[in-house]
Amino acid sequence: MLGGQYDITPEDRIALRESLGLNDPLPVQFAKWVWNVAHLDFGNSFYYQRPVMSLILERVPNSLQISLAALIVTIAVGIPLGILAALRRGTLADHGIRVFSVGGHAIPQFWLGLMFVLTFGVQARWFPIGSMNAVGIDCGLCWDRLWHLMGPVAVISIAGIANLPRLLRTEVLEVISQDYVRTARSKGLKEQAIIAGHVLRNALIPVVTSFGTILLVFFSGSLIIERVFNWPGLGRLTFEAAVNKDYPLVQAGVVISSVLLIVSYILRDVAYAWVDPRIKVR
Amino acid sequence: MATDAVTATVATLRQREARRASAGLWRDALWRLRRDPTTLIALTVIGVMVILALAAPLLGDGFFHKTERDQDILSNYTKPTFAQPWLWLGTDELGRSQIVRLLFGARVSLFIGSFGALTALVIGLGMGVTAGYFRGRWDDIVVWLVTTLNSVPLLYLLLIIGVLFRLEPLPFAVLLGGLGWLGIANYARGQTISLREREYVLAGRTVGCTPVRLMVRHIVPNILPLMIVLGMIEVGQLILTESAISFIGFGIQPPTPSWGNMLTNASQYLGKAPYLIYPPGVAVFVTVLCLYLIGDGLRDALDPRLRAGSESRPEGRDGGDRRGQGLAGGTASQGLVHGRAGGPHGRG
Repeated sequence: MLGGQYDITPEDRIALRESLGLNDPLPVQFAKWVWNVAHLDFGNSFYYQRPVMSLILERVPNSLQISLAALIVTIAVGIPLGILAALRRGTLADHGIRVFSVGGHAIPQFWLGLMFVLTFGVQARWFPIGSMNAVGIDCGLCWDRLWHLMGPVAVISIAGIANLPRLLRTEVLEVISQDYVRTARSKGLKEQAIIAGHVLRNALIPVVTSFGTILLVFFSGSLIIERVFNWPGLGRLTFEAAVNKDYPLVQAGVVISSVLLIVSYILRDVAYAWVDPRIKVR
Repeated sequence: MATDAVTATVATLRQREARRASAGLWRDALWRLRRDPTTLIALTVIGVMVILALAAPLLGDGFFHKTERDQDILSNYTKPTFAQPWLWLGTDELGRSQIVRLLFGARVSLFIGSFGALTALVIGLGMGVTAGYFRGRWDDIVVWLVTTLNSVPLLYLLLIIGVLFRLEPLPFAVLLGGLGWLGIANYARGQTISLREREYVLAGRTVGCTPVRLMVRHIVPNILPLMIVLGMIEVGQLILTESAISFIGFGIQPPTPSWGNMLTNASQYLGKAPYLIYPPGVAVFVTVLCLYLIGDGLRDALDPRLRAGSESRPEGRDGGDRRGQGLAGGTASQGLVHGRAGGPHGRG
């Protein structure tokens, strides 16, 4: 079983099978697993010999750092770009944003990450080639951490930034021709006030829905981006567990990331009601 | 004189317009496609790529004189050079010709993308149309399945499957298709729900058409054009997913080259052989980009709502259908899924 170099007696095997619960019929094993998961107990990792839950809890904050930062960057860059594309329709800026959108969708994220590491890490040496901290520094959210965050966040945000302006552009163009925008104009409001108060507020409603997709991209993307940038997050933990055939850890990784995804969907729906108060009435 | 010329031009344009109006959907689409340089270029690029991929063994034997597995340790880490055809893209750590491997990788990627998308299309269309047509319990099951599968991060799920099984190209393609039909099903369902209330479907029912006939002959032809567009985009998405899964080592396994696992290899020699990293990534990027552009172009050519020109666009087919316009782009099929919030959902 272990290459023959450890003398394993039949008794040991029986004991091991018993301790891993492999003697139960499959449905019983599954029921036990589900029961334990409901109690947040994913068992012990084969590889680390520690409770899976504590391993994961150590990593979740690291992953959230990337996802949250990427979300902020996506919103901060994507929304102005979308408004710009709509207001300057047909100009160079609009076309440029469209080309960027299509391109950003088509480019493989991990390849973009590799290119970032190669160009700015290995060759130019502007950014670290991986990990969360410089050796010997662990200061939480300080400059060093931000510096390490930039690569993965830039790469993950590209996907979101490719998605957002395109959606927002369609919406802004639709809202801008509405009667209430004309009314706002005719009562002499400043253009910025119209855009911020009347157009954007309404155009954002469908865009909030698209955050579900963007979050999905972030979660799936983190698995690979964390590997490319050697970021000790949930994705890399799950990936390494998969390489080590550490089944309890892989199962837990999938369950936890799904739960995080569902929670973010719920948050999206809450945000939806917040942006569009009419939802509550319905 | 100038006015005459203008009148003449307007007359020809009118004529052309009239001829087009009388043409059928597919002929009209062809007419539009022929006048869309971007899509034509994209189609050409994909066409050339498919031919090169199909001819990879012939080219390997007859032109490059290398197969994708031939190693030549003495000339490993050769930088790209025009000295000999097989060195055009350099060699890796085992002295394997990168250009030959790239061509063989194209076979894998294009096969998985197209076959997977076909699977997704068949499942999605079948599930979506039947769910939308029959409604009731079956509809609930389909919607539940789509929502559930949608809240599992795809790559994590594929990771589990990759741990348990060694994936050959064919099962891998079927698997990817079997997980990628959600957007297509949702769209087909939404369209069917609105189409089944149309007069011609009602007429068909009154003369005694079976549900199968109604679905196959009257509903599916109406949603097929946009399904083809979604299918094109799906091919691109599946190629991206395949390369990502192969990159982390759980897709196509190393002796067989794929664009993803070539990049795994390249990422280990970033310092020594940085040139290895460009070709497979560019190949994925160009292929997927062209597929998206074709999808975009086909949508413009096939969408009847855009036919009459942008101003006189008929009203949306039903409430919330507007969201369906965001077809293009990578996460489009998922965008459609999430676009349901204001859409034709629920029975009330």
